[in-house]
Amino acid sequence: MRLIVFDRPSDKRVHFYPLALSRPIFELRCGMTTLLDKLIAKVGARDVACFVPEYLAASYETATALPVNDVSKLTGDDLLLVDGRIRAAEFGVAPAGKSQVALDDAGAVLYARIAKGDLAKLKTQSLDALLESAAAALPKAEPVLVWNYVWDLVLENPATITADFRAAGRSGVEGTVEEPHAIRGSRSDVYVGPGAKVHPMVVIDAEHGPVYLDEGVEVHPFTRIEGPCYVGKKSVLLGTNCREGNSIGPMCRVGGEVEESIIHGYSNKYHDGFLGHAYVGQWVNLGAMTTNSDLKNDYSPVSVVLDGKGPVNTGSTKVGSLIGDHTKTSIGTLLNTGAYVGAMAIIATIGKLVPKYIPCFAWYLEGAVTKGFGKKKLYETARIAMSRRKCQWTEIDEALWDTVHKMTAPERDEAVKRGRKLLAPGGGA
Amino acid sequence: MDRTEIEKRVVKVVCGVLGCDAETVTPDSHFVFDLGAESTQSVELVAAFEGEFNIEMDEDAALEVQTVGGAVEFIAKYV
Repeated sequence: MRLIVFDRPSDKRVHFYPLALSRPIFELRCGMTTLLDKLIAKVGARDVACFVPEYLAASYETATALPVNDVSKLTGDDLLLVDGRIRAAEFGVAPAGKSQVALDDAGAVLYARIAKGDLAKLKTQSLDALLESAAAALPKAEPVLVWNYVWDLVLENPATITADFRAAGRSGVEGTVEEPHAIRGSRSDVYVGPGAKVHPMVVIDAEHGPVYLDEGVEVHPFTRIEGPCYVGKKSVLLGTNCREGNSIGPMCRVGGEVEESIIHGYSNKYHDGFLGHAYVGQWVNLGAMTTNSDLKNDYSPVSVVLDGKGPVNTGSTKVGSLIGDHTKTSIGTLLNTGAYVGAMAIIATIGKLVPKYIPCFAWYLEGAVTKGFGKKKLYETARIAMSRRKCQWTEIDEALWDTVHKMTAPERDEAVKRGRKLLAPGGGA
Repeated sequence: MDRTEIEKRVVKVVCGVLGCDAETVTPDSHFVFDLGAESTQSVELVAAFEGEFNIEMDEDAALEVQTVGGAVEFIAKYV
């Protein structure tokens, strides 16, 4: 049996922006692992391939050992094709069995289980052709649950960390925990990986959930880590008030107060400032005292603007910021409840709340969205930031971001037009 | 639009963004060395010129312009 996890271009991809602009949806994280890792573990597959939107393929190939958009993987074995948005924990479909297909409300395939013998009756020249022919020809099964929006991952993060900790089956100290320290709760709910160093004067509070510090993590004095919490490889906590429900790293530097947030690799929030119920991409730098609101004063549900147009009601009273890859905020940035900050954006604030929607590649200066120094300067900065961590900015990265720049031009151009008016004499910025 | 009008409006924008006195601004005034523009203010200047003249300039080329007279020349190509 071969598991094929797919992320097809659709109008639902925007629900996972700005994070999914630069990665497949199934590479988003929740708990200790990615959605893809969870699907593979759940199905128990050894033979795995994936399909992603064409513009992501070259970049994703450099980040995974799995075959990407390889049409030859659509034949030659029993197949289980699953939408990468499927919630693995609730996915109870047996990997082998009679061919069947489940569709969502719009008729799109959620999963298709196809016995090898049935492949000859279907079209296998492309993923789309296979899924369309499967949808038309195979018996229908009940729909399965999917992640609908990126903030769903944040809201489920604490419970998912706990589930992932149990599944990992590790506890104890393989690294170093220096005295004096305090571990609250059961020691079986704490894991300190090999090479991890917990400095003196650290509190690990596992009373309400497990704490997993992965290999090479460093925890500086006066940090309090409250479970459930996962800290990825080689990340550093700098006197952090690391409240419950965080997934951090790898290779992050995190200080200040962080609560129920997901932070992808290589991002920095070195200094004080509150980050709550946020989803932060990779290579992000949050300047000192950058703070986001995750709760409205009237306790009403938070809305998020995902596409620069209409707001989406999240149905939750707690949603923080969604921050795309490579974005940088200045000191003192104040992000509103449910703020959307696009990828490759620069925020330089003037002490006021930043608007709830900042497009990708925007330079937010003096209260207005501008074109700033353009994308070349942003690429140059990304190159420098990556080289500092011994990573390389490549032509493949540039091609990916050029595409994202084009894809996101309409909403950015609109915001820049408004910004010009604000910055013109008498404009009011 | 004639050159005098462009120059007058460029000076108005420069004074608005950089907070300088119009009498101190000449065509030879350098944005950074004479008028004290910070790097982010050069971005604001470009956006403000675009707003004032209702034009859209190539950002890389626009940011190469270093003097008030250069800005007048540059904007004259667009209006």
